[in-house]
Amino acid sequence: MSRLDAFSEGWSFRSSTPTFERGQEIAAFVTGRENGTQIARIGDTVLRLDTADEGDEDLLDTRVRLRVEDFDTDDHTGRATVLERLGESSF
Amino acid sequence: MSIDPDDSDETEMDAELEAAEQARSDERIEFYGGKWMSTLPLVIFIVWAIFQSGLLAIGDTTGLVAAMLVALIVSMFFVKGDWQVYANTIFEGMTQRVAATAIVAWLWAGMFADTIQIGGFVSGLVWAADALSLGATFFPAITFILAGLLATGIGTGYGTVIAFSALFFPAGVLLGANPVLMFGAVLSGAVFGDNLAPVSDTTIVSAVTQDSDIGGVVASRFKYAIIAAVLAFAGYVAAGAMLGSPFNVGQGAQSLFVENSNPLGLVHLLSVAVVIATAVSGRHIIEAISWGIIVAFVLNVLLGLAAVSDMIVFTASQGSGVAGSVAFLPFVEVAGPDASAAVGGSLYTGASGFFPLIILILLIVAGAQIMIRGGGFEAIQNLLLDRFATSVRRAELTMVGGTALVNAMITINTAAEIAIAPYIARIGERFNINGYRRANILDANTSALGYIFPWGGGVLVGFAELQTLPEQFEWFTQAMIVNPVQVFPFVFHGWLLFFVFLVSAATGFGLEYVADRESAEVARV
Repeated sequence: MSRLDAFSEGWSFRSSTPTFERGQEIAAFVTGRENGTQIARIGDTVLRLDTADEGDEDLLDTRVRLRVEDFDTDDHTGRATVLERLGESSF
Repeated sequence: MSIDPDDSDETEMDAELEAAEQARSDERIEFYGGKWMSTLPLVIFIVWAIFQSGLLAIGDTTGLVAAMLVALIVSMFFVKGDWQVYANTIFEGMTQRVAATAIVAWLWAGMFADTIQIGGFVSGLVWAADALSLGATFFPAITFILAGLLATGIGTGYGTVIAFSALFFPAGVLLGANPVLMFGAVLSGAVFGDNLAPVSDTTIVSAVTQDSDIGGVVASRFKYAIIAAVLAFAGYVAAGAMLGSPFNVGQGAQSLFVENSNPLGLVHLLSVAVVIATAVSGRHIIEAISWGIIVAFVLNVLLGLAAVSDMIVFTASQGSGVAGSVAFLPFVEVAGPDASAAVGGSLYTGASGFFPLIILILLIVAGAQIMIRGGGFEAIQNLLLDRFATSVRRAELTMVGGTALVNAMITINTAAEIAIAPYIARIGERFNINGYRRANILDANTSALGYIFPWGGGVLVGFAELQTLPEQFEWFTQAMIVNPVQVFPFVFHGWLLFFVFLVSAATGFGLEYVADRESAEVARV
């Protein structure tokens, strides 16, 4: 992407419930827990996380790389595996 | 400090480092009265800031430094048990990267801003206004554009308000433009630059607190700024046609402009373009601004816009023997009989102008760290997330409203921005809102609100400048001075920027998620 494109990014109305495809890898913050399972809430879409590779450690407010395993476009929920940690929040 | 420290010094240092490390790993500071009491340092600071800047209209940043120091001392008495952890947490907060990156960028931005100002950038803009020879109807609109250009170059809205209130405002009154509209246009230009300039203190804070690079932040906020600016421009043209001036001075503005105009000053548009292009092309902000400073320095010297000694000068006292023999150097001068020895020039004043703000950000971040360690930060965050930010649209509206509210109360806008930034980061992250978007919400509302309300820092700076005009111009009467209360509906760009963000938050315009685009790492600032 040329840097001039940086000026034209985001000229659109973005859905509050983004959708993802199976197998898609994305970066996201881990945002909380739902019934004991860690989740990444992206807008109003919720991905339930398999954190086995991270030893089920609490990853709240950690930025991680995820692979989407399943996604239901009707209720905007899905399942994803945490692949690696990318960083922390600045605060 | 000794050059060769003995063992005991080293041991002491080790112990100190260990204690600091422990403070980092320790979970909590306990306060009498519970976790809410850990907000006390920032609460005292905010109350002081409202009293000082909001009620008494004193825009002294060093006053806020005293506020934070007093707040940190008073709050210590509410800490349970050993105060050492509290003390170490202050260090921990001050040594955070977020403060350091902002400080470094401010120092560079300050040098750049003062160097293009000493090189007559304002005179170039005055020449442009004169060359366009616009009448009263269009003058407020073009004043908005030119003030916006200056503010985008120098990054300081306050500096822009001072320069334009001193020159463009009286020129507009002479031309027969409405004074209230003129003052509103000047303030609008300041909002535009404060918001968009890569060298603006608020832009820098918004980027570093949201883990984003400054170049990317500037490019991504262009869309909001330009929508608001086009509408504001149209607003000034329309209002210029409808609102006449109650004053008829019967004298041309030409003479005022001729004295202060120099077309060569416009070459600094090139210096500004170098900074913006280099930053947006992904280079580190220090590199980008350094190139801008070098270009501005060379242009100043080559075109005779400013002497080397205007940018850096060692003024030695007459008694100094060495000074006389090196006085041939362009950056050495011997002081007159009454003057004292000093270092000066735009590189010096540009950096030193930021010193109070630098100390202030270190102390505010320390206060925030105490709130984090004491559990108060989490308590406020949970309150916001449970009560208000229950969906992504509501989260963004909470971010817009929260930033606006804090800026309406603390009118030194950079200080307000630093105080609210951690919440914008956390609420946004909990919905995976992209760092660029968070930085844009934070900065737009910070820049806008600081120039709208009658008690806003930028408005008061301009008002103070307007009050000096009757002394400078015989024809300028007290009645021509615009009261801050009159101007607030006419700061079109400020209002429009705020509304653009309200609409964006409600509709998802411009919304991006962390997954959509990765902002460059903080390492590149």
